[in-house]
Amino acid sequence: MASPMLNGSSHSPIGTALVHKNQPSKRSLELLPNGQPRFHGCSSIKRYNIVSKLGEGTFGEVYKAVSLKTNRAVALKKILMHHEKEGFPITALREIKLLKLLSHPNILKLEEVVVERKKEENNRRAILYMVTPYMDHDLSGLLENPAVRFSEPQIKCYMLQLLQGLQFLHASKILHRDMKAANLLINNEGVLQIADFGLARPYDDPAPEPGKGGGEATRDYTTMVVTRWYRPPELLLHLRRYTTAVDMWGVGCVFGEMFKGRPILMGNSDLDQAQKIFALVGSPTEDNMPGWSLLPGCDGVTTFEQKPNALHQAFREQGSSAISLLNELLKLDWRKRINAMDAIKHPYFTQVPLPAKPGDLPRFEDSHELDRRKFRGQKAAPPPAPAGGTVGMGPNGDFTHGVGPPNHHLSGYRGGNGNYPNGQGQYGPRRDHYDGRQQVPPVYDHRNPASHGPPPHRPTWARDVNGLPPGPGLPPRPPGPPPSAVTWGGQGRAPLVREDSRGGQPNGARDTYIPSYAANRENRDRVYRGRDCEQRNDDRGDRGRYDDRREQGPRELGRRRSRSPDIPRDRDRNRETYRR
Amino acid sequence: MDLTSLSNPLVTLDQLSSSSSQLDGLSTELENSIRFGGVQLTEAAGVLLRLPQEVIAQAVVIFTRFYTGPEGGSFLINPVKDVSAASLYMIAKISAIPQTPRSVLNVYAYLSLTAPKSRMDAPSDRQRPDPESHYLTTGAYLAARTTLLQTEAMILRALSFITKVVVPHHLALTFLQTLGVLPSPPTSKSRALAGRTISHLNTGLFSPQLLYLTHQPTALAVAAIYVAAKEIGVNLPCSEWWEVFDVDREELGFLVVGLGSSRLWAEQESRKWVEGKCPLTVEEIMLEMERGREVQ
Repeated sequence: MASPMLNGSSHSPIGTALVHKNQPSKRSLELLPNGQPRFHGCSSIKRYNIVSKLGEGTFGEVYKAVSLKTNRAVALKKILMHHEKEGFPITALREIKLLKLLSHPNILKLEEVVVERKKEENNRRAILYMVTPYMDHDLSGLLENPAVRFSEPQIKCYMLQLLQGLQFLHASKILHRDMKAANLLINNEGVLQIADFGLARPYDDPAPEPGKGGGEATRDYTTMVVTRWYRPPELLLHLRRYTTAVDMWGVGCVFGEMFKGRPILMGNSDLDQAQKIFALVGSPTEDNMPGWSLLPGCDGVTTFEQKPNALHQAFREQGSSAISLLNELLKLDWRKRINAMDAIKHPYFTQVPLPAKPGDLPRFEDSHELDRRKFRGQKAAPPPAPAGGTVGMGPNGDFTHGVGPPNHHLSGYRGGNGNYPNGQGQYGPRRDHYDGRQQVPPVYDHRNPASHGPPPHRPTWARDVNGLPPGPGLPPRPPGPPPSAVTWGGQGRAPLVREDSRGGQPNGARDTYIPSYAANRENRDRVYRGRDCEQRNDDRGDRGRYDDRREQGPRELGRRRSRSPDIPRDRDRNRETYRR
Repeated sequence: MDLTSLSNPLVTLDQLSSSSSQLDGLSTELENSIRFGGVQLTEAAGVLLRLPQEVIAQAVVIFTRFYTGPEGGSFLINPVKDVSAASLYMIAKISAIPQTPRSVLNVYAYLSLTAPKSRMDAPSDRQRPDPESHYLTTGAYLAARTTLLQTEAMILRALSFITKVVVPHHLALTFLQTLGVLPSPPTSKSRALAGRTISHLNTGLFSPQLLYLTHQPTALAVAAIYVAAKEIGVNLPCSEWWEVFDVDREELGFLVVGLGSSRLWAEQESRKWVEGKCPLTVEEIMLEMERGREVQ
């Protein structure tokens, strides 16, 4: 069977085993007479030729590899075994189970799980990797590439694919719960796929029906999900009985992001997020969001300044049908928010210019991430950890207050949010924050919120890299302890982290991290990945993450704009300074 | 999990024609007995953990899949108790009601002291084993947990991480409703029919013919309804109603015989071993194999 039993010198042929009956564990019955193991199990990682490291996410490292069998490029996502006490990570198990069930052209396919066994180590600690097709870009990275500017047919093409994937997902009664540009992978054939099911879960209520939005939910789910910038108002107000409409809000945000070239709602706290939403689409009333006043509210705040709907104004450069669809997707009332099947039928997709066909889209410059890294003599920048999800962590309401967005193990593919495929310099900017806190001009300042199209972009390699550590190692350490702890908080252990820092323990992570915000004015969203309510009874998620934190923390700073976990305390304090 | 997909991966012919245990010299007969004992153990543990039958049935299927085929587990290498515990633990983990390793291991420690026949009955005070006898000390618990998690990883790898098991129970109820034999309010007969159908489905989990590994949930549901209706005396449509549920006559016939004979087989198994305790540990199995050899 598994390797544990392969040890020992007694490769006794079958049948003689009985002689050793007092030491059954030493027997090697699982060997065939020809000496080959009888048990195969998962494929070995040896079937893949690892080409390069793409990044490191919360839950593990991501590699680009080539299958020796098919010669196709794949991404290998390492599954870190954090919870030794729990066995195989529950989020990984769920993600694998879901991905194995789903088969749709617009959903990232899990090809297999492969195992790597290191001889020198105790062989019971095999390392497992999830194998998915290699995708060249993620939407977030693509939008950051100054050389890429989406045409309307292209936007329509991506939107249609996104909606089709989501329609399938929702019809299969699955909530994705982490819709965001960084989780949408795009290859050079123009195919868009939804990735990262680390926060996904089965939806226990009826699947959406035509014309009925997301329908009604009858059971409670955890509200600690969805990366903040893409989090719908009902989640910010802590509606527990939410529906598939939470994913549709994210689609609306991504839609707007494709026009603007940057996330459209970049709140720096949950409350700020809610206020930004209400400033864009109008403040909630019993008309536009029936029942909103009965919700628990956002961080205890239940009253908001009266604001009109400013969507038309904000997107005035777009055609009326685009604004109409955006309006449907960004509806405050989750019951009336358009569902995926209806959105596909929206006139926006049938009016000229018609959606492009995926194959007709321009190919974009391939990932230069790796080259840049080489240039800098550095290791792959870690993709920003998806601060993610934690299905299954302790019940800690704290995330609500913006502290550590939990990361989840599996989010990882793009582990860092998408950077991996085509960095378009994503790694870079983030890294700059890091060391460039003082030296590098704020990269994102150039972005004019009103402008559309990608902001001026300064490629990684063009930036001042002084201060970067010479070695092929981690990005520069910030003064004090690595910020990692903070970022890492993403996972369920966020609470832990926070406590640490509050307690005055020498965990400077937060502070070191903050400046990067200042320098860049960039607030990255925190992913608040919640825990599933059903799992609250156990404390998984709070354990054992220190190691990764140590290893990956510093790189977290390199994360792209939308990922970092939140460090509310300091951030809020300083935020006003850098807010536009 | 409530997904539209209602099918299971099934075993291949190769996997049915040989097994790891047989390669290790186990007779098919003894293998069937041990599997029966293992399923019984898993069911009992699930009941004591108060898991819903849907979860228990999934764990039983995982347990059964693991020991199937020449590349699967062997009863002589992978102790039944460990695989049973890990199957239950792993399936519970992805269900709505995960269990801690401690609860699972406590239950198995308790079960190792009780005879299958009295397992699921609430023991009277006199019969109740001394708690000390099945208490897991910290050391024993840690060791057992290590084994549990190792076994879990082994099962996952052996099954290529396919943890999806669709069980036919809810399907059967839907089919009964579709057939119009579950009136509202229910009659005593319709209750009996539904109950009997579910019983047959649960009995099928024990079948030496590995019915859950060879047939899709729809077929199992249809066959259970067919057998139950015959027994209770409920008239189903005269036409070939099973066709509606994508089950052909031949498959139905096979399953009807399989389900119908399961009871007899279970009774036979229970009589075969003292107090229903069939050999489960590797040592017990080896002793039994030697005894079998001497008899010959």
